[in-house]
Amino acid sequence: MIQLFHVSKTYPPGRRALTDINLEISSGELVLIVGASGAGKSTLLKLLFREEELSEGQIHVEGKNIARLNRRGVARLRRSIGLVFQECKLLAGLTALQNVSLAAEVVGVSRRESRIKAYQLLRELGLKDRHDAKPLTLSAGEQQRVAIARALINDPLLVLADEPTGNLDAEAAEETMRVLLRMRERGATVMIATHDLAIVDRCEARVISLQGGVLAEDAPLGLARGHFR
Amino acid sequence: MKLALIGFVCRRVGGSLRQSFWTHVLTAGTVSMTLFVFGGFMLLETNLQKLLKSWGAQIQITAYLNSGLTAAEVSDTVKRVQSLPEVERVRHTSQEQAWRDFQTALGSQSTLLEGLPREVLPASIEISLRPEHRDAPAIDHVAQRLKQETQISSVEYPQEWIERLGLLVLVVEWVKWLFGGVLFLATFFIVGSTVKLAILARREEVEIMQLVGASEELIQAPFVIEGMIQGLAGAAIATALLAVAYVLLQREIAPVAGLLSPVGDLEFLQVYNVGMLLAIGLFLGATGSLISLRRFIRTWHVSSARA
Repeated sequence: MIQLFHVSKTYPPGRRALTDINLEISSGELVLIVGASGAGKSTLLKLLFREEELSEGQIHVEGKNIARLNRRGVARLRRSIGLVFQECKLLAGLTALQNVSLAAEVVGVSRRESRIKAYQLLRELGLKDRHDAKPLTLSAGEQQRVAIARALINDPLLVLADEPTGNLDAEAAEETMRVLLRMRERGATVMIATHDLAIVDRCEARVISLQGGVLAEDAPLGLARGHFR
Repeated sequence: MKLALIGFVCRRVGGSLRQSFWTHVLTAGTVSMTLFVFGGFMLLETNLQKLLKSWGAQIQITAYLNSGLTAAEVSDTVKRVQSLPEVERVRHTSQEQAWRDFQTALGSQSTLLEGLPREVLPASIEISLRPEHRDAPAIDHVAQRLKQETQISSVEYPQEWIERLGLLVLVVEWVKWLFGGVLFLATFFIVGSTVKLAILARREEVEIMQLVGASEELIQAPFVIEGMIQGLAGAAIATALLAVAYVLLQREIAPVAGLLSPVGDLEFLQVYNVGMLLAIGLFLGATGSLISLRRFIRTWHVSSARA
């Protein structure tokens, strides 16, 4: 599914964020990317959906070298990826339903179909009665679930979540993780970047540890206790 | 583009027009002022050309014939001149006729001619040109051609004022494009700035659209369409203002100033002129948005990637 060959990323004027990363991630895998702030977790995810350009090496997604994609190709790549961010990135002027359906509408799904799909997802994620609410009236946990619904609406092959629980209290964080892990049931590969070791302890997943931009450890199965399963 | 995407773009355009109505009105107003000035020059040019054509209809080239030509030689010369492609009509005036015409023109003072020999006035042919050949170069060309005729002694035509009027039309045309060019450039930046503001106002939305895989065309299309609507609306307003100015000038100012006497009624812009104004409005709006978008979204994309 995903292959990284000697991937390095250097930000001007010469700060190295990632150094010589080699990875292979299979379809349907759950991968936790852990490390302290500045370890390169977010950069690694950003390279995967071409938010950042890599400095050296190659990244292949579904066999395609993503560095060679043109703008249209990047747009197509992103349609197959569901993105979840720490800060949710919801549009304040739209309702929860509209925020979710927007992601489907922009790839050509009809408005009606997008709305139906968005409603179903929100219902699945326990937000049935909140679909008409604007983001600012939602709790942090609810906002994150709306963002997850948006990431899921185009049935992505890959879900990338960057510190999805970073702004949440323990209860909301647990709920968010539960929802994210359920994405695997849909057959998606899920990669979650987090610095919260508690999550690692309670999650059965492959754990990739980054330290100072270098791959420090790649444990095929983490110290899972299966709490979220 | 899929029907669903067209619907999406239309909804976004509609939403933006409602949301930033006054910004759009202001931009359309600016475009309309530019095109009003440009259209004003078009109107002036149209009417000067009409004036030139109207005067051109009265322009005649007079070719004086050598004395002592036989009737057959005169007839041959008239036939040759008549066969020129630029010539519409030829009228031969014999020496006798010229004498009588001059006498009539002098009226009560015709006694002044007593004692003069009748051969003092030469026979001539008066040549009217076809409407499409009533400009200075064509008239000059025909005159030169006539001078080559051995039976013609001299050729007269009002060369100087034809050239001056022709020059005036040319100057108006140049000024129109010069003024137009400067104003278009200004409009271009104003439309571009409005679009830039619109992008800034919807920056988050554009960013999210980029992240969920919206194509560049889909992101840009609403902004370009908004620019086109602004340009088109501006051109329509300009045309309406020109029509009002035309009616005012026609009904109130012009008769008082006596401007209309040489050509009769003033003429409004031709359909193709109005079409040109609308097309320029559309072009200014579309390219102003597009260039601003390309520059702004790409710069922003690169800078956000490096942040």
